[in-house]
Amino acid sequence: MNKKFLGLAPLLIFVLLCVFLYQGLFGNPRELQTGRLGQTMPAFELPDLMDEQKRWTDQDLLGEVYLLNVWGTWCPTCIAELGYLTELREQGVRIIGLYYEQAYDPDFGDQFDINYLRTDVQQMLARAGDPYQFNILDLERTLALDLGVSGAPETFLVDKNGKIILHHTGDINPRVWRSKFAPAIQELQP
Amino acid sequence: MIPEIGYFSLVLAMGLSLLLCIFPLWGAYTGNLRLMRTAPSLAVGQCLLVLFSFGVLIYITLTDDFTVAYVAHHSSSTLPWYYKVTSTWGGHEGAILLWLVMQASWTALVAMMSKSLPWVLRARVLGVLGFLGVGFMLYTLWMSSPFERLLPYYPVEGRDLNPLLQDPGMIIHPPLLYMGYVGLSVSFSFAIAALLTGKLDNTWAKWSRPWTMAAWGFLTLGITIGSWWAYAELGWGGWWFWDPVENASLMPWLVATALLHSLAITEKRGVFKSWTVLLAIAAFSLCLLGTFIVRSGIIVSVHAFATDPDRGLFILSFLALVVGGSLALYGLRVSQVYSEGRYKLVSREVGLWVNNIFLVVATLIVLLGTLLPMIHKELGLGSISIGVPFFNQMFAILIVPFAILMGMAPMLRWKQNKLPPLAKKWAGIFVATIVITSAWLFSSFDEISTLTYLATALAVWICIATVVDLVEKVSVHPSTAQGLKRLGMSYWAMVLGHVGIAFVIASVTLTSAYSVERSVVMKKGETATLNDYEYRFEGVNEIRGPNYGGHAGEVTVFKDGEYVTLLHAEKRLYDVGMQFMTEAAIDDGFFRDLYLALGESMGNGAWSLRIYHKPYVRWMWLGGILISVAGFIVLADKRYRRRKQTSVEHA
Repeated sequence: MNKKFLGLAPLLIFVLLCVFLYQGLFGNPRELQTGRLGQTMPAFELPDLMDEQKRWTDQDLLGEVYLLNVWGTWCPTCIAELGYLTELREQGVRIIGLYYEQAYDPDFGDQFDINYLRTDVQQMLARAGDPYQFNILDLERTLALDLGVSGAPETFLVDKNGKIILHHTGDINPRVWRSKFAPAIQELQP
Repeated sequence: MIPEIGYFSLVLAMGLSLLLCIFPLWGAYTGNLRLMRTAPSLAVGQCLLVLFSFGVLIYITLTDDFTVAYVAHHSSSTLPWYYKVTSTWGGHEGAILLWLVMQASWTALVAMMSKSLPWVLRARVLGVLGFLGVGFMLYTLWMSSPFERLLPYYPVEGRDLNPLLQDPGMIIHPPLLYMGYVGLSVSFSFAIAALLTGKLDNTWAKWSRPWTMAAWGFLTLGITIGSWWAYAELGWGGWWFWDPVENASLMPWLVATALLHSLAITEKRGVFKSWTVLLAIAAFSLCLLGTFIVRSGIIVSVHAFATDPDRGLFILSFLALVVGGSLALYGLRVSQVYSEGRYKLVSREVGLWVNNIFLVVATLIVLLGTLLPMIHKELGLGSISIGVPFFNQMFAILIVPFAILMGMAPMLRWKQNKLPPLAKKWAGIFVATIVITSAWLFSSFDEISTLTYLATALAVWICIATVVDLVEKVSVHPSTAQGLKRLGMSYWAMVLGHVGIAFVIASVTLTSAYSVERSVVMKKGETATLNDYEYRFEGVNEIRGPNYGGHAGEVTVFKDGEYVTLLHAEKRLYDVGMQFMTEAAIDDGFFRDLYLALGESMGNGAWSLRIYHKPYVRWMWLGGILISVAGFIVLADKRYRRRKQTSVEHA
């Protein structure tokens, strides 16, 4: 009897593991519990990606629900979601880009060619779709750090008072939108 | 039309696989020899069809057929032909087809090489392999076909192969790794067949052993080349990251290593049978689990693969069916297994048993480290992150007793040993280890930390103990030549494998402790010094490749005023994806690598550069190659060939 139970122990452990794997598959492991969730957007003042003279602050974003999408042309998944994000924009979703530059590393003494980046971004958006109302350039990554961004793409859902409702890691696709963003936005509507 | 032929060929192959799964297993169950005899031809038939289908994929890639989604997404017309071929396994769908090719080839090989097996066992082994084939083919045909069309609107140019993958490493790394993964399905099938037959005697272990060794050899080589590729291509000078995808390949390797040792005891002494069967099931299960982790997107990894929960669900279901089914079978049968061998505390049996415990604990650490962040979150305990320091620390603790044992265990005999003479021998080796380690380290480095000393000593200990044992085993024979001849290939495999591990330990220790790097900004003609080497920047040239442009920095290296080498580091911009890639320049040497990465232009002809000096880093891959050779030479063992003839008589 004892030996029989011992023989079945691996099976029991495996079944338990499978339950977790199944939950993990649908429980959205990419969702991070950011310290920022439920808090307001950190204060910032950063230039526009396309126009250095134009500067954006957290106050400019208030008044309307929006998505803050962290992206870069170097990130294949970001490019892949541009098409769907553009569809969302056409449906009236306000999307603001936070451009995340990977190649530039201030600690390494890199020099940065903003004109090259602008051309690159314009070409990419022309090709893959442009979902953005505008893009914020965060070269020093201060805002990204404050938000707890760990890579790209990541997307924040922010309500009209500047409160962060959702933090999603990974791409936005129809499934993620239906299961996660749409219900959250529904709740925000009076 | 041609892509459809490839798809259809795969459909036919799945038909044969289905028959391969049903006929022989049914035949073995009912004792119908005619049904059992269909197995080999079905196995070879499905293999030919899968190979044909793969040939079709290569053909449509070479002919730039961008109506096929897979080709449009992973290749381009400007890609050199060999990278076009590589692109057939550069994406998810093609990689799964490559897996099928390996699976079908191993199955056909088993069918052809198992003529001397009793029919019942042969039919069951092939039947189980057929079942696995059905699972993977169903997955390919249903949700991951590389032959899907993009009609009527198709691009005129493909999206190109990810520049990261345009490297010789990519040509050989995935096929080798898959050879290893899939090869472990053979050990798995032997284990299941033995459980089904109910005869867990040592013949099963004998048959399974060479196949397991070969699969393990490929897995070792695959991991080694993966590590070298990361080092040479990624431009960060590292070789292992404890990424979930890397861990996915390490776990089956650790368990397969335990399995090899445990198979040896089961074969020679008839003990630990049920444990060995469990390891065989676990090794392949971890391959499937690894596939699930990599392909489902369940865990965030730097290796971004297609993340699709439907695919993940299929693999999870298949995993649950295969592993759950075999563990249930194991649970039902294992209580009937009895071990007849007896042994004392100081014996080779116990040595190998402890080895197995270490390897399994190491596997559990990797498994927990990989899955715990997810499980923790599912339990509602919040996010945790388990990173490189966790794994490094755990492995540093484990490696100490493990390496000490690795030096001692080969000297143990089966059943029983007298301790005093052994203890005397070990004391001698210990003294020699201290002397050699001290001489080596104090002559090479200025500062030596306790940990570095200890870890290096472990490597030296393994080497000396292995050599002492070798000399002793040879010297019991009248002449050296005769003695060397009498040592079996399995023994040589052990020597190579253990020395290989020693090389890896030494390399990891020394390169971690003594690697230095420096970031510099230089103009043409300026110099920088790092560890006795002087680097003179010769300037930057424009370069143009078949599908990329960019810059190449040239640096001449001098040591004590004498010319050493000219380093040529590139920064490439790939045309299609507009992606930057760093091609580091490496001057490799037995004792050190000089590694150079080109940074950005700083204006006025000045460039930023990163220089690394990495002592003994090459020993890591040298060790890996030694270990994999250990896996392959067992195939040349006379025992396995001779036994085939004798078992024909028994059959």
